[in-house]
Amino acid sequence: MSAAIEAHGVEKRYGSLVAVEDLDFSAEAGEILGVLGPNGAGKTTAIRVLTTICAPTRGSFEVAGVPHTQSAEIRARIGVLPESAGYPERQTGEEYLRYHARLYGQSRAGARAVARSLLEEVRLGERSGSLISTYSRGMRQRLGIARALVNEPRVVFLDEPTLGLDPAGQRQVLGMVRRIADERGATVLLSTHLLAEVEETCSRVLILNRGRVVAQGTVSEVSRRAAAPRSGRICVAPDSVDAALSALAAVEGVAASVDGRRGLLVVTLARTESMNDAVGAIVHAGIPLLSSELEGARLSDAFLAMTGEA
Amino acid sequence: MLVVAGQELRDLWLGGRGLVLSFAFSLLMSLIAYLVATNRALNFLEHRETVNLALQVAIAVGALLALLAAADTVSGERERGTLESLLLTPVSRLAIAAGKLLAALSLWLGAFVIAIPYIWFLGRGVGLVRDALGIGVVVGTLLAVFLASFGFLISVFASSNRVSLSLSLLVLLALFVPTQLPTAAQQGWAGDLLLRANPITAGEHYVGKIVTDGHAWSQDASWLVSPLVAAVVFAAAALLVGARFTRLRGGATA
Repeated sequence: MSAAIEAHGVEKRYGSLVAVEDLDFSAEAGEILGVLGPNGAGKTTAIRVLTTICAPTRGSFEVAGVPHTQSAEIRARIGVLPESAGYPERQTGEEYLRYHARLYGQSRAGARAVARSLLEEVRLGERSGSLISTYSRGMRQRLGIARALVNEPRVVFLDEPTLGLDPAGQRQVLGMVRRIADERGATVLLSTHLLAEVEETCSRVLILNRGRVVAQGTVSEVSRRAAAPRSGRICVAPDSVDAALSALAAVEGVAASVDGRRGLLVVTLARTESMNDAVGAIVHAGIPLLSSELEGARLSDAFLAMTGEA
Repeated sequence: MLVVAGQELRDLWLGGRGLVLSFAFSLLMSLIAYLVATNRALNFLEHRETVNLALQVAIAVGALLALLAAADTVSGERERGTLESLLLTPVSRLAIAAGKLLAALSLWLGAFVIAIPYIWFLGRGVGLVRDALGIGVVVGTLLAVFLASFGFLISVFASSNRVSLSLSLLVLLALFVPTQLPTAAQQGWAGDLLLRANPITAGEHYVGKIVTDGHAWSQDASWLVSPLVAAVVFAAAALLVGARFTRLRGGATA
């Protein structure tokens, strides 16, 4: 399967400011790639470069099999929802989509058909004749996603599509993102700073920090790869706490302390496997183990460890 | 280009801005026509002078409207956040620039159409109407193309829409300053050069020669050189340089 997006050493500078540096990654056809990063990590700049809005200072990339030097060809094959996209307040949703369909070479009749079909798809059919100025933020985002689909794109870039939406609106938009990948077979690059969105929606993740890729892979791979300190909780009977602490003190790579709650121990682990050693020591000492839980293997921990946001 | 121009025209005229500006222009022309007709009746102005005055106002204000519309094109879209969506389409930036310029120029054409009955009313009876309208459309179009292209360029490079509109108006006022100089300052080789080099003053001077003095079109054609050169150079600059630098941040290197 050929890659839908391939970036090799892409760099973007604004004067002395390096916005994106040495961007190397690929995304396969039909996958949803989450791009995570704190504010100012370079997510929007990376998208603007890949969508040919800004020229890279260095490096090369291909989108939908088209080299970056053919920007108009790339733009014909992609759909983009820019961050904080503006909308013409005096146009109706249908007029807006018809105009953009015409810009992609559709005939008048074709543009009308595409606009109506997409408005139904994003559940704006009943408001197709209303002025955009009367749309809520969620409706505008859905309209923006519809606009990104007017040309049947092979790759869709969505920059913070759920920003400012309430939970119901977020859920609707994420549902659309999944349908774009599942039903249309398009590759989706989803930029966000919401970890839950990535864990819920994306097949792979790319973490950017200060313009550089600090991790990429599946969500579980990235979570495991993070050098985040692991921790766990072990629950024993309250009268066994002292014995459990003694047993754990002898285990290499495990530091245990008593939690505020009765019978609960918090263990800090040098590595994930140390949890097995800790549990083994408790069992070996004949202490009844009520429960154990490993923490620190979540995407959020990886993100915080890699971006220094902890 | 036609798709962009079509949408821009709809936004400008159906959105109401073009209609409001045209209505204001028609009020101004009514006032001017009333004043010059009154002055003619009192023998303060010659018949030809009344037509010349009204025509010069129509050209100046019509071209100003084109300038204002063009000065809002890129910087306005940038501020409203709609520019990025347009730049993301496969339409070339040259086509976007050309479409926006055409729409801005429609304001001049609208203004000229509105001016026609006023010129006819003031010029009837002395066989002046056809010449006045002919020279008006030629000079006015050259000046409108020049000013609209200039406004578009400012809009491309301005950091904000307010800067774009203010700077465009400032330069336009500066171009009109020589018309207010005392007659003595407009004479001599320096004064002549100043009037000829400035497309606005050269164009208005040429209109005056034809309409007021009754000269043949070819007699003072050299006065058309600077409006023509300005229109061609600035239109080319808008379409080539301006289009190339149409980007999300005004004046920034991308």
